[in-house]
Amino acid sequence: MTNQNISVVKVRDTLMVTMPADPDDMTVTTFQEEVLRAMEKYRPKGLVLDISVVETLDSFFARTITETSRMVALMGGQTVIAGMRPSVAITATQLGLTLGGTLTALTVDRALDLLTHPHPRRQRR
Amino acid sequence: MSDLTRGNVPIKSENDIVAARRVVRDLATRLCFGVTDVTRVITAASELARNVFLYTGAGVMRWCTIDRAGAVGLELTFEDHGAGIPDIELAMKPGYTTSRGLGLGLPGAKRLMDEMEIHSEVGKGTTVTVRKWLRK
Repeated sequence: MTNQNISVVKVRDTLMVTMPADPDDMTVTTFQEEVLRAMEKYRPKGLVLDISVVETLDSFFARTITETSRMVALMGGQTVIAGMRPSVAITATQLGLTLGGTLTALTVDRALDLLTHPHPRRQRR
Repeated sequence: MSDLTRGNVPIKSENDIVAARRVVRDLATRLCFGVTDVTRVITAASELARNVFLYTGAGVMRWCTIDRAGAVGLELTFEDHGAGIPDIELAMKPGYTTSRGLGLGLPGAKRLMDEMEIHSEVGKGTTVTVRKWLRK
């Protein structure tokens, strides 16, 4: 099985990443590195992580997302996770995953809204 | 009608975790589990396969379809010959980990599946068996 490529796209002032349906550990690790590199290169406001095609969110994947969101925050950016499927949300909750308070949005559109017009209460954790 | 089919997936590298997930996805889908149950079973398998790889480096996932009193299900067994778990009760505690993980693997997999049994002998290895029954 080959490593799936992760592409980090800069749109206006935001980084956009779409996670593949079933990423292997290497892809998940690469995602973190690519995002941080793009944060430094483009200096965006934040990151939208589209997980709408992700079918399995296990604890390793969730930990990497949470860690990445903390790293992005340390660099001065905001992460929004967008598009979690209902089956994934049910499973993640039963597994005990919390995503460590990372912002979430129903769709990429709404995630962009959150980054452009952040709710005052949710702006800073 | 019991044990319709069985097979196994060796777990020796990180990629084998993905391979185990794919086999389980295929099995659960063919057994006509609903989308959420398919996701639950794959996620549990991913946690248990990662435990095998993370703690022992190598092992195997054995699978078989099961039939009990007319109910159809999927049984997954994760076997390794690692150090074993000295205190299973402690290992089942959410948040307890001896690696840098979240400590959700074992307790989480138990919640996602219908049944779970752990047999472990220190110095010999661990066998974790989980089952999910198809709801009619």
